[in-house]
Amino acid sequence: MAKVSKSNRSRELKNSVAKWLVTVGGISVLFTLVLIFLYLLYVIKPIFESATVEPVTQIALTTKTETLSVGVDELKEVAYQISQSGNINFYHLKTSDEQAKNQYQSGDIALSQPLVEQGDILSQVISFGLDNKLLLTKQGKIQLIKPSFQAQYTDNSREIVPRVSYPLGESSLVIDEQDETISVLDFAMSDEKMVFVAFTQDSRLIYTSFIAEDDFSYSDSDYETNFIEISDEFTDVDEVYISPDLNLAFVRSHSTVFVYDLDDDSASLRATINPEFSQANTYLTTMALLSGGSSLLLGDNQGQVSQWFEVATDNGRQFKQVRTFKSQTNATQGEPAIRAIYPEQFRKSFYTLNEQGELNIFYTTSDAHLWQGTLVEENMQALAIAPRADGLVVMSESLNTDSVKQTLHVFSVHNEHPEVTWHALWQEVWYEGYAEPDYIWQSTSGSDDFEAKFSLVPISFGTIKAALYAMLFAVPIALTAAIYTAYFMTPGLRKKVKPTIEMMEALPTVILGFLAGLWLAPLMEAYLPAVFLLFIFLPLSTLITAFVWHNLPRDLKTKVPETLAPLILIPVIILAAYAAFALSPVLELVFFGGDMRQYITNDLGIDFDQRNALVVGIAMGFAVIPTIFSMAEDAIFSVPTHLTSGSLALGATQWQTLAKVVLLTASPGIFSAVMMGLGRAVGETMIVLMATGNTPILDWSIFQGMRTLAANIAVEMPESEVGSSHYRILFLAAFVLFVFTFIFNTIAEFVRQRLREKYSSM
Amino acid sequence: MISVTPTALSDSPNKLDLNNLSPEQVALNINNLNLHYGNKQALQNISMAIPKGQVTAFIGPSGCGKSTLLRCINRMNDLVDNCKITGEINLHGTNIYDKHVDVAELRRKVGMVFQRPNPFPKTIYENVIYGLRIMGENNRRVLDDAVEKSLRSAALWNEVKDRLHESALGLSGGQQQRLVIARAIAIQPEVLLLDEPTSALDPISTLTIEELINDLKKEFTVVIVTHNMQQAARVSDQTAFMYMGDLIEYSDTNTLFTTPMKKKTEDYITGRYG
Repeated sequence: MAKVSKSNRSRELKNSVAKWLVTVGGISVLFTLVLIFLYLLYVIKPIFESATVEPVTQIALTTKTETLSVGVDELKEVAYQISQSGNINFYHLKTSDEQAKNQYQSGDIALSQPLVEQGDILSQVISFGLDNKLLLTKQGKIQLIKPSFQAQYTDNSREIVPRVSYPLGESSLVIDEQDETISVLDFAMSDEKMVFVAFTQDSRLIYTSFIAEDDFSYSDSDYETNFIEISDEFTDVDEVYISPDLNLAFVRSHSTVFVYDLDDDSASLRATINPEFSQANTYLTTMALLSGGSSLLLGDNQGQVSQWFEVATDNGRQFKQVRTFKSQTNATQGEPAIRAIYPEQFRKSFYTLNEQGELNIFYTTSDAHLWQGTLVEENMQALAIAPRADGLVVMSESLNTDSVKQTLHVFSVHNEHPEVTWHALWQEVWYEGYAEPDYIWQSTSGSDDFEAKFSLVPISFGTIKAALYAMLFAVPIALTAAIYTAYFMTPGLRKKVKPTIEMMEALPTVILGFLAGLWLAPLMEAYLPAVFLLFIFLPLSTLITAFVWHNLPRDLKTKVPETLAPLILIPVIILAAYAAFALSPVLELVFFGGDMRQYITNDLGIDFDQRNALVVGIAMGFAVIPTIFSMAEDAIFSVPTHLTSGSLALGATQWQTLAKVVLLTASPGIFSAVMMGLGRAVGETMIVLMATGNTPILDWSIFQGMRTLAANIAVEMPESEVGSSHYRILFLAAFVLFVFTFIFNTIAEFVRQRLREKYSSM
Repeated sequence: MISVTPTALSDSPNKLDLNNLSPEQVALNINNLNLHYGNKQALQNISMAIPKGQVTAFIGPSGCGKSTLLRCINRMNDLVDNCKITGEINLHGTNIYDKHVDVAELRRKVGMVFQRPNPFPKTIYENVIYGLRIMGENNRRVLDDAVEKSLRSAALWNEVKDRLHESALGLSGGQQQRLVIARAIAIQPEVLLLDEPTSALDPISTLTIEELINDLKKEFTVVIVTHNMQQAARVSDQTAFMYMGDLIEYSDTNTLFTTPMKKKTEDYITGRYG
């Protein structure tokens, strides 16, 4: 008795251990899957978050004169203020934990320096780039200064030490030949050239350029000055802007913007922009140049900002209104007018300040309204965006009756991925310089002021295109092969053929990929007619052989063992392929003027890439054939014999039985075989990476390449900066791919279950 | 010992002389039929005449070749590899193993029902008209008529007439087998081969099928292979006893079961082996 119970106990133990192991295994698979899913979402999530603005610190100031300009260093540790009296004051800020060890307190003055002579009063401070400030005094003196910051390390703590330099010397710059007082001025500079466009008190619009002998970055470099008068027809000029490439000047006079081409020795009118307003009594209140200088932002008194850039049209390049931005306040008396527009330095974001002191943050290309709010209750005198666009410095002034109180506010802005919105990812976006809205994927380029274009449409499309062409090639071959092997082939031959084809699945796709890219693609380009001939010759020669074989006398047929009979096709296929390639040059000469590729490109006007959908279709088709074949063959082979005998016994021929009973009964298996193939084609990476050319274009043409999600991730992941929008979008692409395969597999499983219910055999 | 039902007896009032049938009484004539599976001989020199409009049963122990013989009649053995057949089976004076015979055509004349019910994964309606469809019949009225007639003949009409367009796989085993019979008779064969048609069924279904067989012989020549001697006795007019590929004894059922001529037959029907 004891023995029996012992063995029972060990059986029970084994049983429960097995049960436990299986459960743990199953749950951990599910858990891993969910974890991957969650991790992808975790990386993706920040790109869909909107901006936040939070106050960091504020400093009550002792100075009494009005502030003209503010600024901050890259790390937001030192802020400065340029006051009307011509002083620049740098203040320490304690914004990070790292600074805790430093001696100073927030608000301590790091440096205070007069910029102009005693008694001079500044009237305007014009900024260019991050750190070039042009000072204009009431006395007409013009000076270029450059606040800069250096890190110093003392006693294990880092301190930012501010400095002010005068790149063009401390003496006043002469901009107007006639030395008239300047009322409106803008400037822009490169290493060798500095350009000013100004409106003088005697109503002349002038253009002055300094050309350095070697480089402005050396102090006290000599330069040559060029004075040009653009026009004297203006009575009033409100604002002037010069594009950072020094080629264009935008001059706003009331509600009209005049655009001038600036050449070395002349300036000519290029275009005039007259915005049309939907509401009466609308007029422009301000303008700004978007980062990069190709887009103009115009703000009006109805609280709307419009973006304009040059677009290629039938009548040449013209400025067009591309989109408009508006805050969503429910003001009863209409929107407050836009007071100022502050573009970000490196991104296509801009901030608007309206008459009610409300700040709005927009991103142009993604059409996003990122933030809206009032930063300070008091009157805002100056605002500057931190160099890394992660902060704001605001100078405010409270109007008490007895005293003027100034406060410097520092805000941190969290706005990491303003360019990514659902709209920018999946819909047509009108990028600067493009003729119309389009779906574009272009994540990097050679130049710095390039705007990354992240439309997932072309690469999702490419994925589907590659998969479909592969399926077009693979499904007919794999299914007919499966039918033949399972239903017609002798068991002896089947035993050899099936594992052989299944072995193909183990072939590394990287080999298929480089064969396709480096051998097949050039070959197909050289023998293009042969490729199309093959599609006709191979089935045709097979059918002819079958027909001839069928009509051969029986005595002859019995001499060939049944197992070897299909091998007769091998020389036939080789011969047909040889014929196709031999005929190729002849066909090209006769029909395509000697070169089919040239003919397609020039005469038919179809673009031709060497690495195109045809190459991918064949190479990736080759990779998915074993998957489809193997599963479909199993499905067909497992159709019970009593069903086929039943059909045959009713007088059906082999073909009728195949079509009406076998395929019907095997349909769930065949369907899931095809879907598995599709799933594999969608996720395939190496072949598409090497054979598609990786061109993210939206075109169904068989002669054009594509870029797939998988290849895109493989190509770009190594070069994307961790945590950047690009990086996160690549994760999003991975997520989309995940969803694609998930959808395909779910549909496959669902349909298979339904079919199985319907057609399951007993 | 063996209970022979009165119906079986009364159904054969005028006994046929199986060795001396007139040509119009013969449905099938099997002459010196030999069958080899590779090197193994499965049928040895079988010669017999199967009378028209009667039920002929093949009995014998497992592996005796009775099913093989049945499958020779509609050439189902063609599908088996390494199967060699010599001798002839004549249907209307033509050897069905002749080169010019269209096998599909032959199988339309000689229908077959298998051991396990094998309805196709289609509707009841589509199952019944399968044979007509593959012959190219698409006239709705013809098909509707054929369905009703066949299902009535197979005693299934009343059970399924309200769900003709539902899957045949939803029927019970007995119903499925009657559906398969209806499907076989829808194309109006001359001969109906039944290969152990009730071996996978419960007793009640078996009884229904047996009654059906009795009705079927009014229209068709029925050849039935059965493992069950009572069944042979109940439904057949003639019985052939086979053993190890040989046809041992072939006579009218009553005679075979009551006064067998051969020792082997007697041993078998008295239950000494099998």
